[in-house]
Amino acid sequence: MRATKTNLYEGLYIFRPTLSDEAREKALKKITTVIENSGGTLEKTIDWGRKKMAYEIKMCREGHYILIYFSLPTNVMDEVIRENHLHEDLLRYLHRTIEELPEGEQVKFKPLTNVER
Amino acid sequence: MMKSFRPSSSKSFLPNAPMKPKKCPFTADGIWEIDYKDVDTLKQFTTERGKILPRRITGVSQMHQRKLTKAIKQARYMALMPFVAHD
Repeated sequence: MRATKTNLYEGLYIFRPTLSDEAREKALKKITTVIENSGGTLEKTIDWGRKKMAYEIKMCREGHYILIYFSLPTNVMDEVIRENHLHEDLLRYLHRTIEELPEGEQVKFKPLTNVER
Repeated sequence: MMKSFRPSSSKSFLPNAPMKPKKCPFTADGIWEIDYKDVDTLKQFTTERGKILPRRITGVSQMHQRKLTKAIKQARYMALMPFVAHD
């Protein structure tokens, strides 16, 4: 039998802005428990806070952005996605695979030096 | 006979001088991966309306343009950037 591969994932989640801190923690816990129960491990959580969105999603102009990094066996990703679809407090989410975990508490980017138009 | 002029985007003052190729800003800075969360960088490659600029204007290499397009589309999906920016 072939061994299942484990990938490192980055997930950005947008929660409803109307949620209280406790309710948001509970909503995030719901996502992380699914990851942990499926054999994954939570590596890092970065709270971006409440941000104004570029357009309205589900009657909300603002959203609470939370970025999480986790490692998960590739064959259970579908289960995590299925659970996220049923999550009522989640406005939108995006997962992608990454090579290595970024350092530091905040994700920083190098600005471009020579952009010509 | 009508004299043909080069397009206004040409930096050269001579009408028939060959256009100087633009350098890819990502290759020049040694950036090989473009992140959708880096909205400040992505905004430099879109119009005020939010449309993706073609690489003939920005000078981005073909490989980076593909990565840039994907990153802009992911940023739009996560409402970090607009699909259509209104006035």
